[in-house]
Amino acid sequence: MMGRGGLSSVTLCVDGMTCGSCVQTIEKQIGGLPGVIHIEVSLEHKNATVIFDQAHHTPKSLAEAIEDMGFESSAPNTT
Amino acid sequence: MATHEFFVDMTCEGCSGAVTRVLKKIDVKFDIDLPNKKVFIESDKDTEVLLETLKKTGKTVTYIGPK
Repeated sequence: MMGRGGLSSVTLCVDGMTCGSCVQTIEKQIGGLPGVIHIEVSLEHKNATVIFDQAHHTPKSLAEAIEDMGFESSAPNTT
Repeated sequence: MATHEFFVDMTCEGCSGAVTRVLKKIDVKFDIDLPNKKVFIESDKDTEVLLETLKKTGKTVTYIGPK
């Protein structure tokens, strides 16, 4: 079952994570959003790779969701 | 102005930093006690509003009561 836009993958920069607990919190919170298929957060690279349904999200809306949690996040201009 | 005490399950500076950023957005005076996992907020806003804001961080939050 695919949404209108189909699936897309994006790597977002995430700043402000310092430990494994921060990583888990983001994975749990963003991974629980509708339209998010998979998320992998890297503490070492300070980024998050998200596979999402384009009908629900854009890289910008995902970055905003992370910002809302209190971390700094930015969407890359191109994928 | 009332001070409200909350328990927030923070484990590191990244966690307290996240709490700091969400609270700054709603413009309240607050104090974070990381070792004891407590957040003190000085505000006349409804505790429900404060609770919702803290929950945005994805952490376990409990309202303890007025200080």
